[in-house]
Amino acid sequence: MEMIKLKNLSFSYPETEKKALNNINFTVDRSEFVVICGKSGCGKTTLLRHLKKNLTPYGTVSGEVLYKGIDIIELNDRQSVTEIGFVMQNPDNQLVTDKVWHELAFGLESLGLTNAQIRRRVAEMASFFDIQTWFMKNVTDLSGGQKQLLNLASIMVMQPKVLVLDEPTSQLDPIAASDFIKTLNRINRDLGTTIIISEHRLEELFPIADRVVVMDAGSIIADDKPKKVAKSLTEKEHPMFFGLPSVIKIYSEVEKHGDWKADCPLNVREGRLWLEEKLGEPKNEEYTDEILPFKESLNEDIKESFRERIFNKNIAKRKVKEPIIETKEIWFKYDKTADYVLKGLNLEVEKGELFALLGGNGVGKTTTIKSITGIVKPQRGSVKINGTFSTLPQNPQALFTEITVEEELLAAFNGITITTEEMIKQIDEMLELMEISHLRELHPYDLSGGEQQRLALSKILLRKPEILLLDEPTKGLDPFFKISLAKILKDLTENGITILMVSHDIEFCAEYADMCALIFDGSIVCTEEPKEFFNGNSFYTTTANRIGRAYFPEAVTWGEVASCVKATI
Amino acid sequence: MLKQGILITSEFAEYHPIVNLCYFLLAVGITMFTLNPIFLSVSVVCAYIYSVLLGGMPALKFNIATMFVVGIIMTFINGFFSHNGATVLFYLNDNRITKEAFIYGLVSSIMLTTVIVWFSCFNRIMNSEKLVYIFGKFAPVIGLTLSMIFRFVPLLKTRYAEIHQGQQSMVGNQKMSIRDKISLRLKEVSILISWSLESSIETADSMAARGYGLRGRTSFTIFKFSRRDSVLLVLMVIFGGITIFGFSQGVGQMYFYPLIDVGKVTPLLMVSVVSYFLLLLLPILLDVWGTRKWK
Repeated sequence: MEMIKLKNLSFSYPETEKKALNNINFTVDRSEFVVICGKSGCGKTTLLRHLKKNLTPYGTVSGEVLYKGIDIIELNDRQSVTEIGFVMQNPDNQLVTDKVWHELAFGLESLGLTNAQIRRRVAEMASFFDIQTWFMKNVTDLSGGQKQLLNLASIMVMQPKVLVLDEPTSQLDPIAASDFIKTLNRINRDLGTTIIISEHRLEELFPIADRVVVMDAGSIIADDKPKKVAKSLTEKEHPMFFGLPSVIKIYSEVEKHGDWKADCPLNVREGRLWLEEKLGEPKNEEYTDEILPFKESLNEDIKESFRERIFNKNIAKRKVKEPIIETKEIWFKYDKTADYVLKGLNLEVEKGELFALLGGNGVGKTTTIKSITGIVKPQRGSVKINGTFSTLPQNPQALFTEITVEEELLAAFNGITITTEEMIKQIDEMLELMEISHLRELHPYDLSGGEQQRLALSKILLRKPEILLLDEPTKGLDPFFKISLAKILKDLTENGITILMVSHDIEFCAEYADMCALIFDGSIVCTEEPKEFFNGNSFYTTTANRIGRAYFPEAVTWGEVASCVKATI
Repeated sequence: MLKQGILITSEFAEYHPIVNLCYFLLAVGITMFTLNPIFLSVSVVCAYIYSVLLGGMPALKFNIATMFVVGIIMTFINGFFSHNGATVLFYLNDNRITKEAFIYGLVSSIMLTTVIVWFSCFNRIMNSEKLVYIFGKFAPVIGLTLSMIFRFVPLLKTRYAEIHQGQQSMVGNQKMSIRDKISLRLKEVSILISWSLESSIETADSMAARGYGLRGRTSFTIFKFSRRDSVLLVLMVIFGGITIFGFSQGVGQMYFYPLIDVGKVTPLLMVSVVSYFLLLLLPILLDVWGTRKWK
């Protein structure tokens, strides 16, 4: 049965010529799992907001949005609230009340259910989402992942028929994001809820989606089963190709001109079977034993992967010619009675390299950055930093002070004396570099998450720091801009700027970092080049490496795996 | 046990918010309407015991400090500015300074500090959840607003810290003049405001998406009124009722001017004092018993 049907939907925001949505037609059947993807600002959010009565954006609309054959606008309020649930991007802003239990009950209170009914439904959902243990907590005490799960749960208590999610995992770390997506899959399978989700992170969504819709500049350019969409994107050489899961990228790179079968592999298991079919029995038997991606806790996985390096004290120290950041035996704890977060951390960063700090949650990554920049003062040890530095905070909004993008960048020159022409020239160049020239008149808060991230980076770069510290720079970015960002960072390091970044993004670090270091239990366990760093880890490695390791253990990125396969055939 | 207080094992805190509220209304209400030394000393003793029981040594320090400060200020102000009373101690600029005025100041300061101490206990027992419940009982909108405020205040704090660090780190270790530093601080506040306004639009969307504004909103509570709540409530009402009846017959009265008159000790006075004492003692006994359970 058709749950949602869009007929010739077009939409433009007030006072703009450009159509944000251009003649959209698509239908969603009962219990379908539909993924909508596309570049930042391609109209995904605008489209999704049309599916919920109270959230429809203001502007000129033509065409129809039907829910079970009734126009969304004419839908009864009560029905619209209960049957269509909407989860937004930011975990914090959606929370209304101060307690987890109150948040869960909020929707049901609005619907006027009795105390006993609310109690039953809330208890039911709390156990479905496994949140009994933090049921009585304040929402402020939750992690980002927990907050987003709570937002989802507080929609699910109303038992919606359709669940619409607008980039729900973009603000989460990969582990929390993966948990969130698994929960969505469970909701879809166990409760039969129809799910429509927009997302950049397709690695985990592709295998579970029934259908993938690709959008570009307000129009739908592909709408089909995941495997078919993969094929058509490859054939068209569409930039969206780079957003596909690694396994599909490897497959299409190899099979681009060969025989593309109807079923390309979508996950690690299928990828391995395909390679076996292609290349025969693997030679490196030791790598073939079945391995699972991320276990319950990332920290356990890392410990398992790096066991030898953690417990072997005799690892040779790397030679650093010109250390630009140097910390010696820093010990730090936040409180008199708390445990040490950093336990004798030694870190040396060479001039002009892109240095990535990796590790699980709560092992001291962000604290390391804070102690380098002097926001926290270590109780013991020394920090040396040779040059001017700037930090990009996790939340770009923390930097914005002005009312337009241009003025925002102009504000970066505070306290720097140069001529106005020079300023304007530099700003123009920066806007060009970050691909945000078309946004110069807008208010920084009107930009999308990814665009805000770019603006924040521009603002910081205009201060011309010699050292750049980045905290999760790839969070919320679409895959295309990730590639541009990598290029920008590479250019900077070539010009002698040193970059230290903290990241959860294994794929990004594997592909672009010069040096990777692992923090475990408050100290640095090893510092190696990405190839050595990821090689042979069973869990903590890229998807591409997990697929191809039995043949090419040293190939870490999807490009490397693909070219190895091509060379072997 | 007394170092940090026994708040976490407090049995009384586990009771229904209505019972908690009723206790504090009676304790504070009766204290506020009497300057009679017998009632007042019962209240002082119980308030001190209970606050130290809940809050430990820090509470004791706070109590003594407020008692001294408020006591000295009020005694002297009343002593020097009120010229009623028959027993003249001395003259200051032709004004009579009397013993009665000093004593009136002292006694009312004790009354005031006792009320403050009771409020400190109230603060410890009534957490945000209970306050939201109590207000929500009378006006659901206020209850929800309160709950949103309790959510919003810590959010603002973390946001400000984030902004401050963000601005700080953008500047990095580059030098700034004092004027620039001040303007930076002002900017940080302005970012906080626009950020919060911006995000509250999303909060409003989230509320609308979950049906806020539909007719017939109910308010959910996790508190259940059980048998032990009614037993305690009945006991409190009985003891409180006897005391209030005594007051209505004039037992708690006393006069300071022109001469101090404490009034007669009648059987009714004794009965109301004893029932007031029992009323105040109830949660103390409950909490001591509750702590012993965990030994």
